[in-house]
Amino acid sequence: MLKVQLSQSIPMPIQIHLECQPGELHALVGPSGSGKTTVLRTIAGLRQSSTGLIECDSQIWFQGDELHGISKVLAAAQRSCGFLFQQYALFPHLNAIENVCIPLQNSGLNKSERKTIAREWLEKMGISELAERMPHQLSGGQQQRVALARALARKPKILLLDEPFSAIDTPTRQGLYKTLAELRKDLNIPILLVTHDLREADLLADQITVIDQGIGLQTAAPQTLFQKPRNSRVAQLVGISNMFHGIFDAGKLIWDGCGHIFSVVDKGKIPPNARVAWVVPQSGLSVHENRSNSSVQATVEKMSSLGQIAVIQLRIENSDNTIEWEASSAEVKRLQMGLGSQMYLELDESQIHIMPLRPINDPRRFIGL
Amino acid sequence: MDIDAILLSLKLAFWTMALILPFGVWAAHHLVKLNKSRPWFEAALALPLVLPPTVLGYYFLVGFGGKSFLGIPLVFSFSGILLASLIVNLPFAILPIQRAFEAINPEIREAAQVSGLSNWQLFRLIELPLAWRGIISAGVMTFAHTLGEFGVVLMVGGAIPGETKTVSIAIYDKVQSFDTAGAGLLALLLLATSLVAIGISYGVFGRSLSRSNGGRT
Repeated sequence: MLKVQLSQSIPMPIQIHLECQPGELHALVGPSGSGKTTVLRTIAGLRQSSTGLIECDSQIWFQGDELHGISKVLAAAQRSCGFLFQQYALFPHLNAIENVCIPLQNSGLNKSERKTIAREWLEKMGISELAERMPHQLSGGQQQRVALARALARKPKILLLDEPFSAIDTPTRQGLYKTLAELRKDLNIPILLVTHDLREADLLADQITVIDQGIGLQTAAPQTLFQKPRNSRVAQLVGISNMFHGIFDAGKLIWDGCGHIFSVVDKGKIPPNARVAWVVPQSGLSVHENRSNSSVQATVEKMSSLGQIAVIQLRIENSDNTIEWEASSAEVKRLQMGLGSQMYLELDESQIHIMPLRPINDPRRFIGL
Repeated sequence: MDIDAILLSLKLAFWTMALILPFGVWAAHHLVKLNKSRPWFEAALALPLVLPPTVLGYYFLVGFGGKSFLGIPLVFSFSGILLASLIVNLPFAILPIQRAFEAINPEIREAAQVSGLSNWQLFRLIELPLAWRGIISAGVMTFAHTLGEFGVVLMVGGAIPGETKTVSIAIYDKVQSFDTAGAGLLALLLLATSLVAIGISYGVFGRSLSRSNGGRT
């Protein structure tokens, strides 16, 4: 198991705590400059934190605290980790198989044994026929496969992936996703993936940690993260469009701007009469032609069609709030919806999730929530 | 043709190149890792490029004086002009190798580190092969520059035939004695050698570095 607890304030603030089990793929997600690559490089030993703990498979790689300073630190070469770089970082003077042989230099094997293992890895990656090619003779996807073979050749205890798919075209990326998914079953080691692509994280990861300005804001399974973000900043970072504000008191949520009241359950963490942010997932929304006791009147303001899916923007009656509703084109047609149509919106109260509200520009305020 | 002078010049150029290259690789590799003190070292290294050869020669002469190094006399001897030549050639040997090390993408070094390579393995298996163009260029430049070195060699070594009288000094002597044909032949020889050296150097370095060593473009 990989255990990471990092805490530093200079040169950039890093506050993160994560654990990754063998066979688990844990994604670090955040905007550019949020510190996710810094965390990955710190785990690999390519940069050093001032305080914290990095432990892998019961072996301490780094330990330090403010009182005693750094008590243990292993150099990058001594940490058994495979690292996949965004720009592949293949050794340009060595061909594909020689690149994969490099991590086996200190394995105690002779040259021919090293080549046999390297060839096996290239076969697993489906590129054994490219073994003698130089890196500049390979496409981006092929280079990344060689880099992945190199990262795994010495059987590392963890695999670190630093935005490995961002420089690769979409069809090749799909192939690499498949390779990674297949490898996960055999490897049974913790895998950490840094990405700014939420869809990628949702597709591949078992757990996602959202990072902003060096602070780990929330760690959760993808489904939980999208449905129950811990706070408004997480909701914003994971791209939840239907986020609103309101006042929560005694199980009642009053929607800012229009006064609608919903009965909402929370875990008792929200103080009485507090201003909150709240979200509702698409599965908690439905649109009807006729009014009901609990429905909210809304006007169709924008309609955009994305193939079979239509995104409808509805303005809530007598307020500035707008809500996005995704539906099939057939459903939109059935409702005979057009710009300016009056519709009735139902919100499933059991799917409304309320969150503490904090200044968006100060993520450090979220620590401990 | 002054065969002795040509042979002596070749001998001096060969030994200068052979002795300075290992030091150049070591020094350049360390220079790349320096941060704050680097400009000072680089400035000191560049001194022989801007100082008049007679000034350098004067300091060598005064510095060596009548002393010897490990029992070998330095003034007016081959050892003396070799040592002077080594010092004068430092920028020609170190700077091209330094540039070659600097051109290696930092991620390549990091990839070697996370592959478990020790510092020595990183140097031997990755950095040295990637810097070979710089090393060859440094060797060629040093060789050619030593062949044509005049002022420092004359100040430190004088013009003792077979001992310190190199081709450039022989050309000077021939012009002084109005042997313009002999001087012209030797000058043509140096010109051709320099052209070939510069050609090799540009040919080696002229190709795209980024493709072959992962360098920053």
